[in-house]
Amino acid sequence: MSQDVSTGGVIEAIEPEGAQAGVVKKTLGLGFWLAVGWIVLIALLALLAPVLPLKDPNANFIDIQGKGRPPYGPSGDHWLGSDQDARDMLSRTIYGARVSLVVGFSAVAFGFAIGGTIGLVSGFVRGMFDKITSFIMLVLLSFPALILAILITSLMERSLLTIALTLGILSVAPVGRLARSASLVFSEREFVLAARTMGAKPSHIMLRELLPNVLIPMSALALLGTAVAIVAEGGLAFLGLSVEKGSTWGKLILTGAQTRQLEEAPWIAFVPITALFLTVMALNFAGDRLRDYFDVRELAL
Amino acid sequence: MRRSLQRVAIVVLLLVAVSMLTFVAMNVLGDPLFNILGPIAGDTENPESIAKIEAAEAQYYLDKPLPERYVRWLGDFVQGDMGVRFGSDGQPPVTGLIKERLPRSLVLMGMAQVMALAIAIPWGISSAAGSLGGVDAGPRSLRFLVPFSLKAVAVIYFALSLFGSTIGVVVLIWFVALLVAHQLAETVPAARALVDVVKKVMSGFSSALSFGFISMPNFALAVLLYYVFALKQGWFPLRYDASDGFFTRMWQLFLPALTLALPGAAVYQRLLRTDLITTLQEDFILMARAKGVSKRRVLFRHALRPSMFSVITVFGINAGALVGGALVVETFFGIPGIGTAVVEAILREDFPVVLAIVMIVATGFVVLNFLVDLLYSVLDPRVRS
Repeated sequence: MSQDVSTGGVIEAIEPEGAQAGVVKKTLGLGFWLAVGWIVLIALLALLAPVLPLKDPNANFIDIQGKGRPPYGPSGDHWLGSDQDARDMLSRTIYGARVSLVVGFSAVAFGFAIGGTIGLVSGFVRGMFDKITSFIMLVLLSFPALILAILITSLMERSLLTIALTLGILSVAPVGRLARSASLVFSEREFVLAARTMGAKPSHIMLRELLPNVLIPMSALALLGTAVAIVAEGGLAFLGLSVEKGSTWGKLILTGAQTRQLEEAPWIAFVPITALFLTVMALNFAGDRLRDYFDVRELAL
Repeated sequence: MRRSLQRVAIVVLLLVAVSMLTFVAMNVLGDPLFNILGPIAGDTENPESIAKIEAAEAQYYLDKPLPERYVRWLGDFVQGDMGVRFGSDGQPPVTGLIKERLPRSLVLMGMAQVMALAIAIPWGISSAAGSLGGVDAGPRSLRFLVPFSLKAVAVIYFALSLFGSTIGVVVLIWFVALLVAHQLAETVPAARALVDVVKKVMSGFSSALSFGFISMPNFALAVLLYYVFALKQGWFPLRYDASDGFFTRMWQLFLPALTLALPGAAVYQRLLRTDLITTLQEDFILMARAKGVSKRRVLFRHALRPSMFSVITVFGINAGALVGGALVVETFFGIPGIGTAVVEAILREDFPVVLAIVMIVATGFVVLNFLVDLLYSVLDPRVRS
């Protein structure tokens, strides 16, 4: 809708002059590196899960020595407890990260490849192509995202590929919109004009002049988008619509969220919730810091 | 005039595109005949099943080509008839189902938005209050905070003590400590440093809290709130029961609405804080302060209204996110609204219901954002030109 245009104007209108004057030097800060550290740690754990000395996530460790029936609370044996089938929560959570992270990262990669390209090109060439793609993006944006996601996933078989693809399609429009606005801004700049005057081909200008500049503000969106995709996958899983085979964080939370489970063994739900929460927060925080660092305003909406 | 006509045209075109896309996707990717009749649909040997198939095809216009079916559906939809549900008897009709389910979801989402604003506005104002007053902003802004928050605390404490909770005691101790620190800062100048530390801790806590709410996925928040307030504390009922009285049902909706409200409240608070800090640097605020208008009055009466733009914009956009959240929250808390209806319908491939709900949601979203656009000029006369 046109709300983007009108707020853009409003924000500019009430922005005081010289708001940036007081800012001397910007740093990413310790928090940013902590967040990145956590993301790298989780990614490494997920990647190396088969090599690490973890318990089999699908084995049932029924304890005959008198601890009684599962679920077992956290102990030396099971650091984060076990679920109702006596499966180790630590290794289940780490294995669950594999699907969640793969879906998150590949959905964003898809959104960037398609949406980013369309946005970059339409911001540069404008005209009819821009009008048509902008309308398609608007249509995509006026669907409630989660309804569209369950619509697609319910009509297709639910493999890792289709889930990642569905969320990827959903990220095309937001990514495309930002890429377009960034590309529009940079197309007006002197260095693009200079390249044009020197007779550079449009493809050369887009790849060599625009792309590196557009990628900078987009890097923050990549982190924020990954967080959104991971949450969306969790939401689908929570509705019973995620990947059929293997465990994901959303599926783990769903099994722990039944009233009986919550009463007897709250850790079954709260271990994956904590992992998910910390990861999403780390991605959001890192994205936020990057956004401030590069001073990208329009990302806020 | 011409511009608003153009906008209406775009909105209509948008909705037609959304409906077309959904309609085609469901008819091409799914198998409507099978969804209506079940296994009989594939049985073309038995004359009895053939008769049933033909009857169903005639009833749902499946023998007509796709464009004609779409136009028929669109014509009916515009007149308020959303068609017949897929299934053996097709009862109740889609319109009836929507009429039963939609009000509940609207109440839930409305409650969530009201709660979000009710949390975000005081929160945003108190977190921006520190930037009002220039150089001597230190203890003075706390003076504003204390009476303001003491009143709130009295209410919160009273509510909490009704439940006999220890949280109430903790909250009370915190605010008494704050009051003491503030009094010390007024009389003993050396204690100002301490107050500054308290203020820093509080603002750090406030921004960490809002960041946490934003990063908490709604299904995880639902589990957390349900665990703490329904299971452990027992303040809220465990299930929604549509047969209960009005006030009981509203109480049952409180926790689901809070789940939807908290992330929104955090977003609104952050936006409001940023905009308020910008507004507070403007000349008319300085003018009001110079005339001796109290801080509270400046914040609530002078600065709040022109600082609501981002909040109002995101209020419209957030409505879309609320629909997604409502799916999850309604399913988890067992509320029979349109969220659960659409999930059930998608799982049973009951396309007319899905189509109707997608259209209602998309229309609502688009219309709401249209209204938000109109609201800008009400909020700030400067935009009216």
